[in-house]
Amino acid sequence: MKILWITGLACNGNTHSFLNYPYLEQFLDDFEFIYHPIIDSNYSLVDIVSKTISCDILLIEGSISPEITKADKKLVDIITDYSKVVHKIVTVGTCATFGGIFKESEYENISGLHFDEKNLVQSFLNLRYKTISISGCPVHPETLVNTFYAIKNGIELKLDEYLRPKEYFAYTVHNGCTRNEYFEYKIDNHNFGKKEGCMFYNHGCQAPFTHASCNKILWNEVNSKTRVGQPCMGCTEPDFPKANLYETKKNMGIPANLPLGVAKRTYLTLAGVTKAFHINRLEKDMFDD
Amino acid sequence: MIKLIEKIEGEAKLHFSFKDEKIDFVDIEFLQTRSIEKILEGKNAFDALVINPRVCGICGHAHLIATVQALESCYDNIEISNKAKIIRELTLNFELIQNHFKWFYFTVLPLFGYKQAVLKAAYPSQIMGKAIASIAGQYPHNSYAVVGGVVSDITNTDIIKLQQYIQETLNSFEKNVIDLKTDEIEQYVKLEQLFTHKGDLNQILEDILETKWETLGKSFDRFIAFGENSFFQKGKSIKTRRFTAITEENIKEFSNVTSLAKNVVYGDKYYEVGPLSRAIINKNPLIKHIHDKYGDSIVSRIVARVVEIPLLLKHSQQLLKKINLNEPSYIEPKIDISKITASGSSSVEAARGSLTHKVNLKNGIITEYNIITPTQWNLSNGTKQSPGISQKAMFDLPNENIAEIVFKSFDVCSVCTTH
Repeated sequence: MKILWITGLACNGNTHSFLNYPYLEQFLDDFEFIYHPIIDSNYSLVDIVSKTISCDILLIEGSISPEITKADKKLVDIITDYSKVVHKIVTVGTCATFGGIFKESEYENISGLHFDEKNLVQSFLNLRYKTISISGCPVHPETLVNTFYAIKNGIELKLDEYLRPKEYFAYTVHNGCTRNEYFEYKIDNHNFGKKEGCMFYNHGCQAPFTHASCNKILWNEVNSKTRVGQPCMGCTEPDFPKANLYETKKNMGIPANLPLGVAKRTYLTLAGVTKAFHINRLEKDMFDD
Repeated sequence: MIKLIEKIEGEAKLHFSFKDEKIDFVDIEFLQTRSIEKILEGKNAFDALVINPRVCGICGHAHLIATVQALESCYDNIEISNKAKIIRELTLNFELIQNHFKWFYFTVLPLFGYKQAVLKAAYPSQIMGKAIASIAGQYPHNSYAVVGGVVSDITNTDIIKLQQYIQETLNSFEKNVIDLKTDEIEQYVKLEQLFTHKGDLNQILEDILETKWETLGKSFDRFIAFGENSFFQKGKSIKTRRFTAITEENIKEFSNVTSLAKNVVYGDKYYEVGPLSRAIINKNPLIKHIHDKYGDSIVSRIVARVVEIPLLLKHSQQLLKKINLNEPSYIEPKIDISKITASGSSSVEAARGSLTHKVNLKNGIITEYNIITPTQWNLSNGTKQSPGISQKAMFDLPNENIAEIVFKSFDVCSVCTTH
């Protein structure tokens, strides 16, 4: 199966994240890149833009603007040409999906392929039926590669409202976080640099309302940001990056963004109950006597 | 003629002028910019810790460390534990190492007619990614270094894992790059000693010597390094004279007509940054010997970058032993960032050389941010009368394909150059 990997306005973080896929040898036996930003390919970028070369998947990394060119051809024209020959389009990363961090750059009408943050972009509406979005800043390598295999194997992935496979994006980052007990009993991480505590209450952690499986399919096969004590920054979501990322936005002392699906009134009831707990095991440092 | 240089973390256009069948001038054009410095204006200072790693997919961690240090320099008194300092240095080392493997196996091999060795690049890079992730949560793009230290509270288990990751990466280097016990390389003082071993580096060096390309790519023989830590020293070197008193204030950045990237000079001169520069400033005997013999040529650049891998791994082993787990990972600053109105700056040695971040804060909000990347130093687009480092290195070459080898010997990164 042949993949064209084309880059818009990007940092190349998705390219490097992909290289962390642990079974790269097998992957490269099963798929061929007709162009990739780093891995050698049979065609140069100049070849890619000067004719339409047969391929199965068009992969787009980076934000899209009518002003951006690749090898002197407009990126939007490259997308239009190749979208006619491929079976599937995959937007890789939050920039290609929602516009992402570089939406604030100085190019005109910059967005993802189908979404400008939460809003639907009209220009490529006719391509929506063949697109899968794998958001994330960067993309998780296993999520990306597993999606390629699903396409190759003809599996119809169930997608969410932003065209993200539910298999990976129906989870929240909170699922599987090793700090869950501290969340449950409302024990904050008062300071960084601790194994203990939950960062949701004061440190801006967005894990309970961010769709991704970072704590199910670990990063680099070993860890996740929230496990080490870095708040989740919500990098798979349409509004990434929000502002004041290391602080929890609150209204009258209550986090403004509650865990997905939790109503404010129920949250307040639950908060009242958890206050009744005083769990010594969780209130002291884990390794202390 | 114009040549589009591809697969350099983006693209660049080289506009060649020839005279008497030799390159007379090369105009270097970078084609995209994301205006990151403007994006940062008006934002909460801490948000820069999340935005700045996104400058670059291959050296974003250096941008994180430069950011946190620049913000910390805005405080009059801020305490950072020794443990946090060591941990930051380790994760940055690991990033440099993954970069160098990728550069050698993805970029250098094809320049000499070999197929890329994807797995020889990816395997050790993945191990280094695991090492960073075990401390920082993930790689690329984490924000684990915060003003006051690091968020992670590592344990003995993590230390053991890190020892194994480092050893496994050393093993990979010995198996593929240079077939020798890496302990030996610290003692080496002559290029000939490298030739007594087999390996992919030697294959490339033999090819260069056979084609008599060993002196290709000479520039001004001026080196500079601003990043300072327990391994790298700060200073500059002109021909063989070294100076230690340099200051970030003398770095000047200015626009040029062709490119979206800005030029960078120290005083009024272009300087080379990167592994060769820091090896010269660090007085590494092996690299000094090669430089004495071949000057600031492609041979010196290639060997300096590749040899930095085992040296940094060995140094990381020592650093790991110095971590005192009883020290705090994070010490909360006494003053809230919203009370800080100040200017700060910091430099670190990133994979491609010195990376400088400068910031102005007003009540904890960024009013101005300036990023000067290593590739801006090396790829500055000067004039024929006053050429930049890589332009000078391409003068008088017979054709654009050889020029591409010289250009890529600087480890070009398009996204960093424009940012």
